[in-house]
Amino acid sequence: MATLDGFRNKDFLDQITILNDIAGSKNPAHLPALMDLFANPTGDTGVDYMVIGALNAVLGASESAVIDGLGSQSPEFRTLCIRAAGEYAFAGAARPLSAMAARESDPDLLVEILAALAKIRPADGSAVFRSFLRHSDPMIAAMAMEMAGVYADSLSAAVLMETVSAAATDDKYETCEITTWKAIDALAAIGTPEAIAFLVRFVHHKNPTARRIITDALVRLGEAVLPHLEPAYAAASKDDRILACNITGFIGLRKGADALVRAFDARCFADPNTRYAAFEALGRIGTLKGLVCLVDGLAENDELILMAVVIGLERHAAPGVLKTIAERITDGNENGPRIAKAIIASRALRLFQELYPLPGVGQVLMDALRESHDQSILDAFAERLDHMGTAIARADAESLPQAKAATHRALAADDSKSMLALYRNILTDMGFEPLLAANGQEACNFVENGEMADVVITDMNMPIMDGVELVGKLRGSLGYEDVPILMVTTESENSQRAVAIKAGVTDFITKPFKPADLRETLARLLASKA
Amino acid sequence: MDVELAKPFIKAAVDVIGTMAFITPHAGKPFVKKNSIATGDVTGLVGLTGDGKRGSVSISFQKACAVAMVKNMLGDDIQDIVQDVKDAVGEITNMISGQARAGLAEKGLVLQGSTPTVIMGDNHSITHIAKSPIMAIPFETDQGNFTIEFCFE
Repeated sequence: MATLDGFRNKDFLDQITILNDIAGSKNPAHLPALMDLFANPTGDTGVDYMVIGALNAVLGASESAVIDGLGSQSPEFRTLCIRAAGEYAFAGAARPLSAMAARESDPDLLVEILAALAKIRPADGSAVFRSFLRHSDPMIAAMAMEMAGVYADSLSAAVLMETVSAAATDDKYETCEITTWKAIDALAAIGTPEAIAFLVRFVHHKNPTARRIITDALVRLGEAVLPHLEPAYAAASKDDRILACNITGFIGLRKGADALVRAFDARCFADPNTRYAAFEALGRIGTLKGLVCLVDGLAENDELILMAVVIGLERHAAPGVLKTIAERITDGNENGPRIAKAIIASRALRLFQELYPLPGVGQVLMDALRESHDQSILDAFAERLDHMGTAIARADAESLPQAKAATHRALAADDSKSMLALYRNILTDMGFEPLLAANGQEACNFVENGEMADVVITDMNMPIMDGVELVGKLRGSLGYEDVPILMVTTESENSQRAVAIKAGVTDFITKPFKPADLRETLARLLASKA
Repeated sequence: MDVELAKPFIKAAVDVIGTMAFITPHAGKPFVKKNSIATGDVTGLVGLTGDGKRGSVSISFQKACAVAMVKNMLGDDIQDIVQDVKDAVGEITNMISGQARAGLAEKGLVLQGSTPTVIMGDNHSITHIAKSPIMAIPFETDQGNFTIEFCFE
């Protein structure tokens, strides 16, 4: 058996061999000698580090020694025992650790104690963590909140809710504290109807980061959230209605789609922005009832809403529905050409392929296609026509015009696919070559690759990098110092305009806008630059 | 647990920068990043794996802070300031990662750290690959600021 007698006089190789053997054997008989070596180190960092390793291994085999060690006079050994208690999840250590937590004032040591307790996870541990929810050190409070989630401790809910509400005050929305994040996640983990209802009430939290965390948490909770979202469709605030639709779409369950259809029937979505969000959500889920609702959406005359409808139908349209779409395009109504235009602008190649051979439809679609000024759209549909292989399709492909070479370039960033399709459409119409990005980071990549633009359009709220940060980056990039930047906002984001102006935004346009408004604003911005 | 992982890195940063560069950093209030992007003038980045976790830790220094560290570490022996800043930030990141991981290993949390990568460029940005929110801890020093960012999933 390895022995620690005369350890200090042995050479390095012997020392580490012995320590290695002890760490392997975990024999508690070595404890006193190891503790002596720990208290009076050899001075060789490598050996001393191995002493800690061996001591930890031996402590791991002796719960009683660890519990005794928690009361040790040596702070270093006490810390070692706290860590071992957690690492080996010694249930007997829970009580003394809880008592230590209650009287410890050093935040570093308190984190050690709480981390150990978190690993032991005693059945009655929730009360200990609950008492630290309001701790002045945000790290400790965050840790307590995380554990409130682990224990699904509904008694912590009130403090968690208070934390989330307090972060929504005027002076706090610029940075999101970690306690806000942990409180939201803990409430989601608690998952009681009250906690979910609370999170739904804060879907449009004033702090954009908190808002994103709440959205993610609700999407993660899935089905349980749906009954709470339904009343939100009829909420007073338009933003709440829109976000409720978005979350339902992301959850992607049939029940959600059914609720959206019911809300349509109850005329909850009178406002065009909300209707757009509802159609987009239905398009994501794709149930039969949802499809019927989307087909009804073909009667919309707003370009953007039609695109959301078409993108949804492109994903899910079944043969039975195609006939109805064909009828809507060819019934002589003024919406026929609009639908055709939306199919082209949103690059709905599958719908195009299915509808094109139907009597009368191909002509309307081709008329819309010939009007496009976007070379990449023309190319995509020409390739599809060619692929279809009929003589007429091939002839149609060849008859397509070449888009005029663009005279300007525009960079547009938005996380909504249909908004990007709308920008593409408007920009190419105005003779721009569009550079399209799904978030600020993608837009930055264009700029970093040396792409220049005459004008920039950006959404305010986007994942990964938001509009305000993008604008700040652009203003610091060579060649973008004076480029006009148009920011697209909703009414409720007006409070954040000051931040955006500081970052360097030239002008704003508020959603919803008519395509003509955007054209006019862009023309004005370019004229003022010239 | 994020806090348990983050604490040793914060402590190691204060220790290493204090000991090696004679600069005393003061930690500010931690916050959640709006996005997954680190910004700064010089950044040291380490990838971490182990114990079913995967993540990255970055330390982004303002130029003034990075230069002050190099001056304090090398004295008058600066050959090429750009190269020396790069080396120093790489070295400091490595030491912080090593010390923090040693602390975590004592709790049975063994993480492997990659060799640090150093990114330089005024006001550059780096993307952490993570779905979970990123915790950032701002530090102030008399010579300029730096930020440590964590993301684990």
